[in-house]
Amino acid sequence: MLDKSSAVPVKSGMQRTRSAVRQPRRTRHWHEYALAVMFLAPSILLFGIFLFYPLIKSVYLSVHSTTPRGDVAKFIGLRNFEKLFDSGHFLNSLWVTFEFMLFTVPTSIVLALILAAICRTHLRGTKVFRFIFSLPLAISVSTGSVIWMVLFHPTLGTLNYLLQAAGLPAVQWLTDPNWSLISISIMTIWMNLGFLFILLLGGMEGVPEDIYESAKMDGAGPMRTFVQLTLPLISPTIFFASVTSMIGAFQSFGQIHILTKGGPMNSTNVLVYNLYQDAFVNFRFGSGSAQALVLFVLILILTIIQFKFGEKKVHYQ
Amino acid sequence: MRPNIMRTGLAYLMLAAAAILILFPFWTALSNSLMTESESATYPPKFFPTSLNLDNFASVMASIPIIRFIVNSFVTSGIITIGNLITASMAAYAFAFLRFPGRKLLFALFMATMMIPWEVTVIPNYLTVRSWGWLDSYAGLTVPFLATAFGTFLMRQFFMQLPKELMEAARIDGCGHIRIFASLAVPLAMPGLATLGVYSFLNHWNMYLWPLLITNTENMRTVQIGISMLQFAEMTAWNLVMAGIVLVLVPSLLMLAIGLGRLVGGLTTGALKG
Amino acid sequence: MKFKPFWLRKWSLLGMSLFLFLAACSGGQPSQGSEPAAAAGSEASSGPVKVVWWHSMSGELGKTVDSLVKQFNDSQKDVQVEAVYQGEYDEGLNKFKAAMGSGSGPTMMQTYEVGSRFMIDSQAVTPMQQFIDADKFDVSQLEENILSYYTFDNKLYSMPFNTSNPILYYNKDAFKKAGLDPENPPTTYADVEKAAKALTKDGQSGGSFPIYGWLMEQLLANQDVELLNNSNGRSALATESMLNSDAAVNTLTWWKKMVDDGVMLNLGRKTDDTKKAFAAGQIAMTMDSTASLRGIVSSAEGKFEVGTAPIPKPSADYEGKGGVIVGGASLWIMNDKPEAEQQAAWKFIKFLTEPSTQAYWNVNTGYFPITKKAYDEDLIKENMKKYPQFETAVKQLHGTKIDPATQGAVMGIFPEARQLTETAMEEAINGSKSPKQALDDAAAQITQKLQDYNDSIAQ
Repeated sequence: MLDKSSAVPVKSGMQRTRSAVRQPRRTRHWHEYALAVMFLAPSILLFGIFLFYPLIKSVYLSVHSTTPRGDVAKFIGLRNFEKLFDSGHFLNSLWVTFEFMLFTVPTSIVLALILAAICRTHLRGTKVFRFIFSLPLAISVSTGSVIWMVLFHPTLGTLNYLLQAAGLPAVQWLTDPNWSLISISIMTIWMNLGFLFILLLGGMEGVPEDIYESAKMDGAGPMRTFVQLTLPLISPTIFFASVTSMIGAFQSFGQIHILTKGGPMNSTNVLVYNLYQDAFVNFRFGSGSAQALVLFVLILILTIIQFKFGEKKVHYQ
Repeated sequence: MRPNIMRTGLAYLMLAAAAILILFPFWTALSNSLMTESESATYPPKFFPTSLNLDNFASVMASIPIIRFIVNSFVTSGIITIGNLITASMAAYAFAFLRFPGRKLLFALFMATMMIPWEVTVIPNYLTVRSWGWLDSYAGLTVPFLATAFGTFLMRQFFMQLPKELMEAARIDGCGHIRIFASLAVPLAMPGLATLGVYSFLNHWNMYLWPLLITNTENMRTVQIGISMLQFAEMTAWNLVMAGIVLVLVPSLLMLAIGLGRLVGGLTTGALKG
Repeated sequence: MKFKPFWLRKWSLLGMSLFLFLAACSGGQPSQGSEPAAAAGSEASSGPVKVVWWHSMSGELGKTVDSLVKQFNDSQKDVQVEAVYQGEYDEGLNKFKAAMGSGSGPTMMQTYEVGSRFMIDSQAVTPMQQFIDADKFDVSQLEENILSYYTFDNKLYSMPFNTSNPILYYNKDAFKKAGLDPENPPTTYADVEKAAKALTKDGQSGGSFPIYGWLMEQLLANQDVELLNNSNGRSALATESMLNSDAAVNTLTWWKKMVDDGVMLNLGRKTDDTKKAFAAGQIAMTMDSTASLRGIVSSAEGKFEVGTAPIPKPSADYEGKGGVIVGGASLWIMNDKPEAEQQAAWKFIKFLTEPSTQAYWNVNTGYFPITKKAYDEDLIKENMKKYPQFETAVKQLHGTKIDPATQGAVMGIFPEARQLTETAMEEAINGSKSPKQALDDAAAQITQKLQDYNDSIAQ
């Protein structure tokens, strides 16, 4: 959830890349050019320093080894990358990240969809529920994690108390490697639900009321209306939601740093956490940068796939 | 009629269940923040405090500068938000209304930056900021985030939805681009700015990894780092930690109440109706 | 907290005289009193020298640190110390690494014992020996068991500050209920297992040891087993991990068996989680640092009586062998700060090693005094009466035979090695690997990292 900005349907925006204003030719040509430079300079400068330069520097660092102080020690070619893929450690991280995405993204979107769909109807009291469901938006990763840390406590936690009260065995939420990632996912879903709920609700409210009215006239039940009408109509929003959540999942760090530190048995050691450990705990900037580049390529591929397959099915108004 | 009642009942049941699940962690935080230390760490866990014990808030404020953390977070997210609004609307205006060579290419490049997850650049950025002596400073916390590709994209969408006739009329009246930008485009795109503002504020309020890396003094810590430090303690007193969390939640909830409506419509219209 | 109220200045005059008085009283080293006074003269014009101290003491410990700093600041006006909490040891060290070379780092830093080699290799510190030699500071008053840990190549690189070792905590009331003798706690692996079996009933578990690499290191030292080659990395840079020794496999097998039999719980790495369960009476035994003694005793107050015992050995045959490694942390002075600032930090460090300071520190935290004289202070004598449980720890420390095994392992990647050890412990206890396999794998990984590290500092 660090930065949702990486996810927006690019193509939809590009379709309109044509000047909206017609203007006299040539006369203002150079003047406009200078203006454009002025208007764009701040962004270009900032992107240059904090985005493009680092990308190049990452490539440079990734082919070097570093001293305990973090200075570049010597050129070692692709050894950092070889080591990454040789050790089960990094592959495990990849797998954990993938699993984490699988656990969190579909679940949270489906849940948010259901809640938004019910809240869109004109049942009494939905206003209150709307407020409640958007509450997790006020939760940040650190507050959320700390609250769940208390809930997850192995012997004193409320969750285990409730399980045992229901006659079920207690679960070692964060210390059993079979459960830890699920526990982190539960907490993450809860935390992200607010944003997704609001996003999808907004999408649904954007659908004109008369469309629903006419569907009702045709005798379509709410289930059918939802599947055949609402879903296709808000598909751009769902698409946006899924891209942002996926990238959000890819970037998860805080909850893992606070709740499990990647353990037990590296069962929650997602990519970004592994990168953090390599670079900022063990001070191996070289192999940390190699990981960052792999992460970059993966997200690039993922986004391209999503646009290739996602956009076709998405129904734009 | 029958299935309708059943359906309504089912809907309410689901809403209620979901509401309880979502509220429960909030309740845990609130009730624990009012308990004594031994109450908060007993088994079976208590769901209600036995008394309204407000001392926790006082003692957590005495033990860590929580107000300072909140102020830091406000200043940091505030500067970034304002910076985002300025850089994004300027760049967006250029892309929407100015004609210059390489515009399409440059716009594509801007959009491509959205594909670079911020974490990929964290190591070199950290090295840069460190070499400039910007650790422990608002500059270090904010400057790397002042430009936003997403914001540029969003603002461009808003600008392009402005009525063309209006812009043309302004041109015919002899208005220059700077005037059009400042007194026409920006005011008309206010809803877009508000959306971007809320979005950017919330996002940067929640930053975790970056402030963790570059803040070392207690005075520069943001809420996120300050709160997470609370739980790293030996023998954590849960009631105090929860009191800290409740204190931090207050401004977040206020922001939510103020910004909610803006965010609902704005994000979808801006981002999705091309 | 940062700005000293003006009314404090009046007090500082009073404090100053008190400080001189105390310094004179501590006797034996006239240099201790005169040297700061000389330094004071030269710096009087520029106001107090500010010393930033990063530490990892939180909660009650943090409060004690703050009050020590206040005592010192109020006692004189040349040096103002500002203590900044940087999260637990790992976090603190990460922060330090991140700030290295940026100028935004501290003047003085508290680092846990396993960070020592890294601190030396970082070349960011001024060895403590330089200050000691220049000041003719008498180190013979300090505990040699503790000094031996931080002495490398016959040089003391850092000043020990807070030292602790692990002890076995047990619930005396639960022992009585289970028909065990509460005054005769288990001392061998077999005894612990037997006790755990007897204690497991009515929803209470026999015990739980947190998955903490430190405990594994201690259990091995307690059998006089070294963790690394080259005399635990003390005669030369270590090149090989011996984490997969028979002793280690044995110990982990014993630990795992108790968990498998259901007489011990695995509550994960967070020591706080285990302590809370112990204080709530859910587990009857645990292993933890002496620094937790006060916290544990006070949170159990009114619920049950807490007993303490030395950590167990595999069998009675090991009696008199090995001992505990001095755990805890020491203070380092950074070499990228101006001379005056480093001197100011040294002055503060001297204050911290005074018997009365150490007594105050010990009584309020449960860390050992590093000065032998501190045991003569009334404060400590009274405290021993109030917390007789603390005797265990002191006996355990003084009973330790000093050799490379009990001096502790030294490696630049110790924090990482500890994590790998913890992962191995998890793998064995969760049954995904046999204890032997888990430790073999971890040892191989640590060996690999050791070699990489040695390569990188050879540049």
